[in-house]
Amino acid sequence: MSTVMVVDDHPMWRDAVERDLAGAGYDVVAAASTGREAITRFAATRPDVVVLDLQIPEPDGVQVTTEIVSLRPTTKVLILSASGEQNDVLAAVKAGATGYLVKSASRDELLEAVERVAAGDPVFTPGLAGLVLGEFQHSAATEVRGDKPTLTDRETEILKLVAKGLSYRQIAERLVLSHRTVQNHVQNTLRKLQMHNRVELTRYAIEQGLDGD
Amino acid sequence: MSAWTSPAAIEVESRLFRALAVLRVVVLVNAIGLTIYRAANFDPPVAALVCALVMIGWTAFVLWAYAAPSRRTAVLVGADLAIALGLLLVTPLVKGPGFHASVPGFWVSGALLACAIHYRWIGGLLAGVALAAVDLGLRQEIDQSIYGNAFLLVIGGPVVGYMCESVQRMALERDEAQRAAARAEERARLARAVHDGVLQVLALVQRRGGELGGDAAELGRLAGEQERELRSLIRGEQPGRGSSRGPAHGMADLAADLAALETGSVTVSGPAATVEMPAHPAEEIVAATRAALDNVRRHVGEDARAWVLLQAFPDRVEISVRDEGPGIPDGRIAEAERDGRLGIAGSIRGRIEDLGGKAELITGATGTEWELTVPRTGVDG
Repeated sequence: MSTVMVVDDHPMWRDAVERDLAGAGYDVVAAASTGREAITRFAATRPDVVVLDLQIPEPDGVQVTTEIVSLRPTTKVLILSASGEQNDVLAAVKAGATGYLVKSASRDELLEAVERVAAGDPVFTPGLAGLVLGEFQHSAATEVRGDKPTLTDRETEILKLVAKGLSYRQIAERLVLSHRTVQNHVQNTLRKLQMHNRVELTRYAIEQGLDGD
Repeated sequence: MSAWTSPAAIEVESRLFRALAVLRVVVLVNAIGLTIYRAANFDPPVAALVCALVMIGWTAFVLWAYAAPSRRTAVLVGADLAIALGLLLVTPLVKGPGFHASVPGFWVSGALLACAIHYRWIGGLLAGVALAAVDLGLRQEIDQSIYGNAFLLVIGGPVVGYMCESVQRMALERDEAQRAAARAEERARLARAVHDGVLQVLALVQRRGGELGGDAAELGRLAGEQERELRSLIRGEQPGRGSSRGPAHGMADLAADLAALETGSVTVSGPAATVEMPAHPAEEIVAATRAALDNVRRHVGEDARAWVLLQAFPDRVEISVRDEGPGIPDGRIAEAERDGRLGIAGSIRGRIEDLGGKAELITGATGTEWELTVPRTGVDG
C-alpha cells in the first residue's frame, strides 16, 4: 500500500482525512500543518502521495507542490481544497499536482481519488477540466509564436465532457473508446498544461536574461 | 476637561513648551542685553543687576519646570505670570515714572505664551489683558508704539491659545482615527480566522453528513449550502476579486455571473480568467442558463445534479447546461411551441436568438444538454 502525507492547517480536517486513509489501509507516514513543515517532513519521509490543502501558512500549497515535484517527481500530489479557489487550483496543477478534489467530497470519493492518483491517473473534477480548457483556449487566442503545446481535437472533446460532468466510463461509452484511452487523453492534457507552464517559465527566464548568456 | 489630559493633548503641549523654551532664551538674551545697554537709566544702578538676575534665574527655573507635564500646575503658570507682572510693576520704581522701556520688555511674552499653551485661548486672553493693562497703567503717556505692543499682547495670547487648542483637538482626532483603523484591522483579522474555521467545520459537516445518510445527510447538505454562501460573501468583501461589478461600466464578467449559479447540486465550470461582455447579453445568457437549470429542477428533481460549462473564444461564448435526466422525447419542444406553450423553448431559445446566437437541445443516453452559442462581437447591449 502507498505511503501518504496529509497537509492541512486544520487539525480537525487533518485528523478526519488521516483516519479515513489509515482505515483504508494506507500508511500515513507524516502530517503537517504549514508549508514549511510539509517540505521538511516530505524530505524526511518521501511519501508516494501527498494530500495537500492549498490554503496553509507560508509557503502556500502551490509553492509546496512545486517543491515536492522537484524533490521527488514520482510523488503524486492530490489537492484537497475548499471550493472556489479556482486560480490557486489551476496554479497547483500547473506546478505538477495530478489531482483535485473539493473538501466536501465524501470519504469514498477521497479514497478513490487517492487510489487513482497513487496509480498515476489524474483526478479531474468538472471544475478543473473547465479551468484547463479555458487555459488552452486563452493561449490559443493570444498565442503568436506557436511554441506552446496545444490540445488535439480528441483531447479537447474529452476535457469538455469531463467538464460537463460525465464520468470516464460515460465518456468511453459515448466516444466508443476504452476507459484506459480516455484516461490517457486526460493525462496528456495535464502533461501539456505543465509543459505549457515550463514554456512560460523558460520564456520568462530568457526575456529576463536569466538563461546564463 | 479630560480631553486636555489625554496623552495626545499632553504630547502636543510638551512640544509647544519645548518650542517656547527656545523663544524664552531668545527674549531673555534680548532683555539682558537691553538692560546692560540701559544700565545708566537704573536708579540705583544695582537694581539693573537684580532685575537681570531675577530674569535669568526665573527663566532657568521655568525651562526646567515646564519640561515635565506633572510640574505644569496652576501655581507654576500663575507664578510665571506674577513674576512678569512684578517686573513690569517695579519699572517706575527703578527707572523713574517717565520711563520709556519696561524692565522685562519682550521677556513677558514667555509668561504670556505659557498661559496660552496651558490654558488655551482663555488663558492667553487673560494673561494678555493683565500684561497690557499693567503696562499701560504705569505709563504717563501712551504713544503709538506702546499702544501697539499692548495690543499685540492682547491678541497674540488668545491666537496662540486657540491654535494650541486646535492642534490638540487634531491630535486627539488622529489618535481616535488610528485606534479605529487598528480596531477594524483586528476585527478583519479575527473575522478571517473565524470564517476560515467556520468554513472548515461546515465542509466537514457536509462530508460526514453525506457519509452517515438519512437526517444527517440533510444536515450535511444544508452545511454545504451555507459554506458556499459564506465563501462567496467573503470573496465579495475582498477588493478586486470575484465581484461581477469589477468590469468597466456597462460590461459584465460572464464567468463570475455564471459562477453565482453554483449550488450543492449544480457545478459551474469555466476559465479562470474573467470573460468580459457587454452587460445586456451577459444578463440574457445568465437568465437563459437559469431557466435551463429551473427546468432541470422541475423535470428531473429538486436535487438533480446539473453541470454548467462556460467556454470563451475570441469570437463567441459557448455555454452548456447538462443534466442526467431521462431527456425530452424528440419533437416534444416543437410540439409545445406549436401549441403556443412556449415554456423553456420561449425563455431559452428566444433570449439566445435575440442576441444573434443559437440554442440547441441535445438529448441522449447521458442526459439532456442545452448548448448555447452567442457571438461576442457585433452584439450591442
